[in-house]
Amino acid sequence: MTDTQSHLTEEERHAFADGSLSSERLPQVEEHVRACAACAFDVERIKTLMTRLQETPVGSTPAPLDALWPSIRTRIEASKVIPLSANGGRVEERRAPRRIGLAMAAAAAALITAVALGLRYTTRPSAPTAQSNDTTSLIAVADSAHAYEEEAQTLLNQLELRRAMLRPEAVVQIDRDLRVVDSAIAELKEAIARDPNNPALRRLLASSYRQKVDVLKRVGNAT
Amino acid sequence: MRGPAQAMATADDVGVIDDVVRRAQQGDVQAFEMLYRTHAAAVFALCRRMVGDDGQALELVQDVFVRAWERLTTFRGQSSLSTWLHRLAANVVLEHLRSSKRDALRLIDGDDATFGARSPAGQIDARIDLDAALLQLPGGARTVFILHDIEGYSHDEIAQMTGIAAGTARAQLWRARRALMRLLDL
Repeated sequence: MTDTQSHLTEEERHAFADGSLSSERLPQVEEHVRACAACAFDVERIKTLMTRLQETPVGSTPAPLDALWPSIRTRIEASKVIPLSANGGRVEERRAPRRIGLAMAAAAAALITAVALGLRYTTRPSAPTAQSNDTTSLIAVADSAHAYEEEAQTLLNQLELRRAMLRPEAVVQIDRDLRVVDSAIAELKEAIARDPNNPALRRLLASSYRQKVDVLKRVGNAT
Repeated sequence: MRGPAQAMATADDVGVIDDVVRRAQQGDVQAFEMLYRTHAAAVFALCRRMVGDDGQALELVQDVFVRAWERLTTFRGQSSLSTWLHRLAANVVLEHLRSSKRDALRLIDGDDATFGARSPAGQIDARIDLDAALLQLPGGARTVFILHDIEGYSHDEIAQMTGIAAGTARAQLWRARRALMRLLDL
């Protein structure tokens, strides 16, 4: 469409009506709509649909909605994070046939081992002399953890967008593995809160985030 | 347009909601129950619109909130919680549709006249509501329409979520709108 001799395309009509038309095209399309009754009428119909959509209430909610909570709560309680001390068995019992599952299980197992080692530090806070000698290193490691955390979040967002494309069983597997990794990260954060100047814990946290990034990248590559 | 997703919280609630979310993220189930009671109706509405069945929608609401509990720590407040929940819900429903091999993501053949034609007088009330009209659409067109015009996703986002091309999503949207205009007698 460039003049009033030909009508607007379907795309132009919809984009003009819902406000998504590019600013470059807008003046031309506006001019055409002013001059062409047929296109103006059609654009107005689409706009009316948009208006109707915005004015339509969400609709009635069935009574059972409130009654759903107990079963949701039961499922939540059942899926609560497993204590790290019991994780060995859980990882062992999960012998996923797929490459992703194995890789994730290996990553998770390595992480759990690392966390278990890290938690031992928490019972014996790091020595003050070591802290003062390692301040620069501590900051660098914290920055590193933060960078990996940011990257993991970006990858997680991408995974959320692709989630519907994955096989249901793969989704279950991924969620389970990420829960294990996340629980390890949570444990490390708690340990760091108790002993904030412990460089070993900081390094483990950075390493944990890096492993999470690796796991997510493997998922991304496999899909 | 983010439709009902952003209509949930008022400015007065923001501080309280932030606190409730934070507590839920730390594992407080009672706080999470408050979030459920705040958002369940909107999530249900989305599920019902997408699957067109109250029973299935109720089951999906459960799945959505169990998933939300599992992933709540990934919510960082960059969007509103309701927007985050709606995205989560849309993904859960799409997974359900895919796994149950329904036709929600199937491409639609034929021209606009093959669906959404007005039913004979008397079969459909002239005041047919939007939800009823939506149910008359084929799954693919309904899904794209809901995700774009009701939930506010871009065509590129829809393409990523559903696996169809962005151009196909656009065509589905136009067809869905045309069909709805006929059904709603606009």
